[in-house]
Amino acid sequence: MIRLDNIEVSFGDFTAIPNLDLHVRPGEFFTLLGPSGCGKTTALRTLAGFIQPARGTVRVDGKDVTRLPSDKRQVGMVFQNYALFPSMSVWENIAFGLRVRKENPAESDRLVRDIARRVELSDEQLAKNVAELSGGQQQRVAVARALVLRPKILLLDEPLSNLDAKLRHQLRQQLKDLQAMFGITTVYVTHDQDEALAMSDRVAVFNKGVVEQVGTPQEIYDHAATEFVCNFIGDSSTLTPEFVAEVNKQSGAGLSTDAKSYLRVEKASLDVPADGGAAVGLSGKVVSRTYHGLHSRYVVRTHGADIRLLVREDGGDHPEPGTETTVYLQPGHVLQYHPGTGAALREQDPAVALP
Amino acid sequence: MSSTPVRAMARSPFVLVVGVVLTWFIAAFLVWPNVNVLIATFFPDGNFSGRAAEKLFSSQRAMKALGNSFLLAVALSITVNAVGIFIVLVTHYFRIRGSRILFLGYATTFIYGGIVLAAGYKFIYGDKGIATSLLLKVFPGMNPAWFSGFFAVLVVMTFATTTNHMLFVANALKSVDYQTIEAAKNLGASTWTILRRIVLPMLKPTLFAVTILSFLTGLGALSAPQVLGGRDFQTITPMILTFTNSPTSRDLAALLAVILGLATVLMLAVMTRLEKGGTYFSVSKVSSELQKQDIQNPVANVAVHVVAYLLFAVYTLPVVLIVLYSFADGAAIQTGQLSLANLTFDNYVRVLTEQSGLRPFLVSVVYSALAALIAVGGLLFVARLLQKYRNWVASAFEYLLHIPWILPSALLALGLIISYDHPNPLVGGAVLTGTTVILLIAFVTVKIPFTLRMLKASFASVNSSLEEAAAIMGAKTLYVFRRILLPLVLPAAAAITALNFNSLLDDYDTAIFLAHPLVQPLGLVIKANTDGAEGTEGIANTFVYTVLLMLITGITMYLVYGRAGRRSGRKRMPAVPGTGGTLAGEVPPASATSVFGEDSKVPAVPAR
Repeated sequence: MIRLDNIEVSFGDFTAIPNLDLHVRPGEFFTLLGPSGCGKTTALRTLAGFIQPARGTVRVDGKDVTRLPSDKRQVGMVFQNYALFPSMSVWENIAFGLRVRKENPAESDRLVRDIARRVELSDEQLAKNVAELSGGQQQRVAVARALVLRPKILLLDEPLSNLDAKLRHQLRQQLKDLQAMFGITTVYVTHDQDEALAMSDRVAVFNKGVVEQVGTPQEIYDHAATEFVCNFIGDSSTLTPEFVAEVNKQSGAGLSTDAKSYLRVEKASLDVPADGGAAVGLSGKVVSRTYHGLHSRYVVRTHGADIRLLVREDGGDHPEPGTETTVYLQPGHVLQYHPGTGAALREQDPAVALP
Repeated sequence: MSSTPVRAMARSPFVLVVGVVLTWFIAAFLVWPNVNVLIATFFPDGNFSGRAAEKLFSSQRAMKALGNSFLLAVALSITVNAVGIFIVLVTHYFRIRGSRILFLGYATTFIYGGIVLAAGYKFIYGDKGIATSLLLKVFPGMNPAWFSGFFAVLVVMTFATTTNHMLFVANALKSVDYQTIEAAKNLGASTWTILRRIVLPMLKPTLFAVTILSFLTGLGALSAPQVLGGRDFQTITPMILTFTNSPTSRDLAALLAVILGLATVLMLAVMTRLEKGGTYFSVSKVSSELQKQDIQNPVANVAVHVVAYLLFAVYTLPVVLIVLYSFADGAAIQTGQLSLANLTFDNYVRVLTEQSGLRPFLVSVVYSALAALIAVGGLLFVARLLQKYRNWVASAFEYLLHIPWILPSALLALGLIISYDHPNPLVGGAVLTGTTVILLIAFVTVKIPFTLRMLKASFASVNSSLEEAAAIMGAKTLYVFRRILLPLVLPAAAAITALNFNSLLDDYDTAIFLAHPLVQPLGLVIKANTDGAEGTEGIANTFVYTVLLMLITGITMYLVYGRAGRRSGRKRMPAVPGTGGTLAGEVPPASATSVFGEDSKVPAVPAR
């Protein structure tokens, strides 16, 4: 549906994106995830037609749109702050694109009311000024304004980033539902991994203008292709060579002791796993415990490594700081990366899974 | 800060002393003179009389002047907006080649205005003007007095008052969220549609405000009609001046001043009303910075470039010619012929060494400096107290101190004249009219609203924890003020003093009513020179004065705004020194200077 090939984007001397290849499938909710300044917004804006790439092609639905202006690409966009026109009513905002296209007024009104109904904006709200709407309603106006022109693609540029946590959670669901209902191919930009994991069909993780990994949320979480992805997504403990050596000794797993090794916090446990199996137990000492209500976060020192792990507060007895305990883990859960390149040692998945 | 009970406020001796002094000042110089004008108009002998109105309606001249003023006000609102919006778009919105140079050209009105600008245009385009002399050689049959009357006044005032657009409209434009423009582009809107449907509507409140300022400027115009209006085009304020000078027609002057005042108050009320209605500015919290737009249509692009540079020439030509001819000898000034041979420093030497040349300059410097210092020094305490205490007494004082902001300077000046031309107990039984003090009082008064707002803003920008921290350690009110607050607001106070000094330096509108006949400030001398009283030497002197004024103003503006702008890497002009750009996105307000008198070179006060 969308194909970016060999895209290079520079601003003066600064190369924001050196060489980008991306492929988004029809109907997919595709997320560009990365820290600020990683080039994800630049990639989105290149797709939207606000930035001319120095090199490479942008294709939408098989058609080369690299040189086309934004409005000829059949992409709709929801901006970070929604960019609603403050001098117009909700109706006028949504109808803006139709009026620019000189759509006949009766037809425009029908389309506006139709899309408004689908995003659950009432007729009363249509007559209001945009400033009178809540954040959630503003978001729906922005989505309606983008969708009323029936674009092939919907671009969302961090639309939740300037909202408070609670509203963000609520709108995240709303946005996902809208996308599912319209079935429109969507490219979403965010720096919030939680958002990316919860909403996306697939995620591309950006770092310094380069895509580190493309995959389903579960793939990038469980099988982070690079050390950067491993550290950027989720929470993990750094393992020491001694720790890895001890795991090898107990299990014969044959993990590399030279590689950079990590263990996700939720993959370590103080109890023997129910299915037992290949789990190994390493004795250590509780360094600290932080109570969070739902669970406690522990730091246990064992074989030179500070292993962080979560213990569910289910009313049972749990070790206090200073006491001896045992940390259990599956050797298969240890994530290992090449100390020089940062690439995953075990080939979990092809790094860029382009069909 | 929550409101403070009045009784608690009155317990502080500091507040009491400031309060007493302030009450006297407001009563003596802000309230009584204006009330007196009303009395003189409608109750000349203690009983109500409509005689002034009858006289006014039967005076053809006065009625004509009234009509002219409103005509000028309406015409000016249109022309200033047309030119002002265009230059703002050309310098800030569209991608135009050489926009920085264009900006400098359009910004020349920041450093000269009012009587100086009117005089400059007359010396260049007037009947004996330099440009006219040159034109006459090419077209011997043309009318040498082509540049006079309504047309000339409108042209000069149009180019003189786009300063408000350069300040406020440009600032509002910068606060437009660029994402809305991108969104419109994405939805298929053209350059023109985006400008018309998205950008201009967002500027609406600012445009309303500057339109009203332009209207009021036209209504209260004094120096431009006087210098360039000729016999056929006179307006209210010059008429007030004429009537004031004869005791038998003072009631007429008063009535005209009251009409002018009423119109002003009415327009400002409309403006305040408009400010309140509707949201025009971005509803978002994060916005992205405006980027310049290409004009897609090549024909339109060329046309805009051509007009932009033509306007540039109109703006800069007077400045360039004034600077050039300030070095020329009398013959060159008279004939317009200029060669390297007759460029000397003689004019500068004469003005700076001879008594007659230097004296008006010194008079203006002394008056301006004193008034600027008194206004800022006195209001430092007042602003602090008004910022600290919130209750009805404080609000009442604040409103009263804004009287000079809502009333035309002609009305204030007339009020002072008729209130203090006989011994008055309010000032210890002294007669002030005809003395050198009365102009100083007027200067201070005129600067109060601007100074107060700016100082209040800078006090408000001081972190209140600093004060609380000092108080916890046992510091007393005055000590906190002296050691903590004062050092923090001092840079702002210095900047405000400098701006006040600047704007008073070439004052004409107040001085013409109140100046002592033997102690004439610069504005009056320049005006006299435009009448040809002092011959070519007078003209040469005026050129030198103008260059010096432009230098002083330019340097002050640079010190106050330029460096701050440089530091932030953008050439913006925060209107509140020391509080940095709080004006962005705010609706421009009026100030005494920008409303009354066409010299609006002083940035106006931030909105409440």
